[in-house]
Amino acid sequence: MTTALVRTRAPSVGLALPRVEDDRLVRGDGCYVGDIHRPGQLHARIVRSQVAHANLLAVHVEEARAAPGVVTVVSGSDIPGLSEKRIPIRLSPGQLDRFALQTPLALDRVRYVGEPIAVVVAVDPYLAEDAAEAVWADVEELAPQLDPVPGHGAPLLFDMVPDNAVATFETAHGEDVDDLFRHADVLVHERFSVHRHSAAPMEPRGLLAEFDDDSGRLTVHGPTKVKHFNKRVLADLLELAPDRVLLVEPDVGGGFGPRGEFYPEDFLIPWLAVQLRRPVKWMEDRLENFVALNHSREQVIEVAMAARHDGTLLGFRSTGWCSLGAYVRTTGHTVPRLAGIHMPGPYPWRGFSTKFVSVLTNKTPLGTYRGPGEVEATFARERALDLVAAELGMDPPELRRRNLIRSDALPYRVDTGAGSEPLVYDSGDFPAALDQLLVAAEYEELRRSQAARRQDGEAVGIGVACFFDQGGIGPFEQARVVAEPDGTFTGYVGVSSIGQGVQTALAQILADELGVDVDRVRIDHRDTDSISDGTGAFASRTTSFGGSALILAARKLHEVARARGADVLGVNDGEVTVEGDEVVTGNGRSVALAALGCEAAATFESTHVDFSFGSAVAVVSVDRPTGKVTVERYLGHYDVGRAVNPLIVRGQLDGGAAQGLGGALLEDLAYDDQGQPLSTSFMDYMIPTLCELPTVQSSWSEHPSSGNLVGAKGAGEAGIIGTLAAVANAVADALAPDGVIVRSSPFTADRIRALLRGSDAPMSVQPSQVGAG
Amino acid sequence: MGAEMVSPPRSAPTRAPEEPGEPEGPDELADVSFSLNGSMTALRVPVRWTLADVLRERAGATGTHLGCEHGVCGACTVLVDDQPVRSCLMLGVQADGSSVRTIEGVAASDGLHPLQRTFHEQHALQCGYCTPGFIMLALGLLEREPDASQERIRDVLSSNLCRCTGYAPIVRAVMAAQAEMRR
Repeated sequence: MTTALVRTRAPSVGLALPRVEDDRLVRGDGCYVGDIHRPGQLHARIVRSQVAHANLLAVHVEEARAAPGVVTVVSGSDIPGLSEKRIPIRLSPGQLDRFALQTPLALDRVRYVGEPIAVVVAVDPYLAEDAAEAVWADVEELAPQLDPVPGHGAPLLFDMVPDNAVATFETAHGEDVDDLFRHADVLVHERFSVHRHSAAPMEPRGLLAEFDDDSGRLTVHGPTKVKHFNKRVLADLLELAPDRVLLVEPDVGGGFGPRGEFYPEDFLIPWLAVQLRRPVKWMEDRLENFVALNHSREQVIEVAMAARHDGTLLGFRSTGWCSLGAYVRTTGHTVPRLAGIHMPGPYPWRGFSTKFVSVLTNKTPLGTYRGPGEVEATFARERALDLVAAELGMDPPELRRRNLIRSDALPYRVDTGAGSEPLVYDSGDFPAALDQLLVAAEYEELRRSQAARRQDGEAVGIGVACFFDQGGIGPFEQARVVAEPDGTFTGYVGVSSIGQGVQTALAQILADELGVDVDRVRIDHRDTDSISDGTGAFASRTTSFGGSALILAARKLHEVARARGADVLGVNDGEVTVEGDEVVTGNGRSVALAALGCEAAATFESTHVDFSFGSAVAVVSVDRPTGKVTVERYLGHYDVGRAVNPLIVRGQLDGGAAQGLGGALLEDLAYDDQGQPLSTSFMDYMIPTLCELPTVQSSWSEHPSSGNLVGAKGAGEAGIIGTLAAVANAVADALAPDGVIVRSSPFTADRIRALLRGSDAPMSVQPSQVGAG
Repeated sequence: MGAEMVSPPRSAPTRAPEEPGEPEGPDELADVSFSLNGSMTALRVPVRWTLADVLRERAGATGTHLGCEHGVCGACTVLVDDQPVRSCLMLGVQADGSSVRTIEGVAASDGLHPLQRTFHEQHALQCGYCTPGFIMLALGLLEREPDASQERIRDVLSSNLCRCTGYAPIVRAVMAAQAEMRR
């Protein structure tokens, strides 16, 4: 480095810098949880229920305890006070949650295939797996409840939860909906359903827990996403002081929402390490991953929607049922609650009402997955809008263009009833963004080409969807910035890295605020000791909240440095400034921050939530004889607020879209009528290979968020939100000449063939035209 | 607490921290020796252990990752006698006498291999878990078929799964590396 006193540095935010994470990862030098070994470590294997619903009369572990290499086998009755050790929820509580929280091992009843009933600990993982097969249970099978919309008399999962309805969320806005319906020219009414699918990260979960007798401290390797919350929960369940628990985040092979929540294993493995005083390691296999990691998405959403002849949207009513699975897990009712919040979308309704019910089912519990509830609500609303457009004989984008909230109406506030926070859509230009997307897609040309191909007998469709991505949920994030003796700076953050590129993007933000080169800044998100609290990596909040906390901490660091620097230089505080890595006086004397040993911590707090606008276009062709749907093109345009690193933003948007297209076309966590999961390997749960994906074309605009110091609105989820809706509308458009109505996802070949055969029975209420009032 | 857990052992058996020793169980063991990234490696391993487990647990080559353990995802792809194989579908003892190459042996002493560098430049990895498998798969292809067409490259790369990127940057990275390797 030169010692020039005045340096001009170009800001690094906005530059497409390749990631600092990559070098280790491309060399195979990453350190994922499975790569960590401890001397004397034991290996745990979870024994899981093989039936969906049963009274658990006894768990027989004797034979397994006698098996070679086995150290111990534990069932529910072996853990003292287990009935009180219920995993708490972190977000979105509901009315009857207290009856439906999960204990880490089943006690007297099992409620889904995959529910843990025992744990085997052995000296190697092969022997643990052998012994696990010798654990067996006496069960009295009960009829499973698998219906998201159960009739009266359906089997109850919990006696204290009538009708299996564990929570209900309602919103209401504006004018009376019935009155709006009476005065409508067009009214459509349809019931849509979204199938169960989820994240399937490439790395299954794993944990390695060790208890140190000397210090009395428990260390757990493997947690991610919400480490500080998980630390508090674990300390509470183990009855340890929180400062006795250290959670360490290794490299993580994909998160996408489900990974990193507190699961039964997050208690069991540390508990065993404390009991046995030996390190205990658990590595989930892929089958377990499919029945143990949160599922998501499964909702039935009924929509009635009213409009005028000119396309003016008036109001809607929607009722949703979310198949929540067997227990209320840490993300509570976020999925149905967000579905309700996102039903209105970017349109100025004169009135609406929504009601979403969380329904317990004998399936793997359901939690958040990239775009939770937002994907499902967008699917139902945008499908209904296309039905309205069809009734009106209007081109679908034109219906949206006529209705999208205009930029001069922003910020646009939607009150949603007593006790609910209003929704505020604060910035953007929604109609212009949609037009930009349609131009990029060459929409008019697409329609011409479609007409020509239809002439040739092809089934080709174009689908459009508009939506909001809700990002940047508070309440806070912490950061601590240290000026290191070697002249570098370390930013400690409470957010997590699940593979997004957090270390690179946050380093860019911190470097700019400090006024130093980005290669002198390092971001550390690794453990719960380095920073006292954090909220975590979800809701597209890592860059906006983590970055804002770093900016505050950097400003505070400069204050500290000015005071100390002035002291060292023998001048008043007001006579010095911080220039990059030095405190300097007006006459050129200086002292390096590295020599001052300063650090500062800060907390960024905000209750602001960003609703950023996005839109998507899908072009599909359907092979009628086989039912195969091919997505030929997929384009999305999103308002990311501020693209801190365009390379990473593009990766998030394109990758999110690819993941969503897999969900729309291939992936299905199906069950048989006895509650047996049918997708338990990558041969049944088909995530897309590169052969099934089009080249995704993502673009973005930047209307900075007013809710955080970075201006970012988030990019992690935007790409996935419109996928299901745009593909559904495109499939519906392709098959419009066949007279079918598309109501249900996924768009697998067998489902499409069933649709064309007419065996996807229409619901009782048909789209109908009502006279002008 | 169960009766059998009242008196947990208070100290762990002593083992070297870096290299776990031979398994304690009753498994039948066999000697296996193979060249690992050019170095001869001799191990005594349980006959039922997969090559992936032998590499990861006994040879310290943890860059080879396990995503499904039944041969679908390709995260565990390594080169055995220069052919890409799923190391989760092969027993360790079957590698006896072979040349095994893993991600740890790809970089030259003076820097990254072109594939490693282009994956970085093209943002062809996010979480990085599938990356070693993709690089080994592409390396096996480009060494044997330096002039592979884009269609051929896409066909081969469709053997492995990635959940983060949507694959387009992976294809770009492999094409860019191919151009560099042919020079």
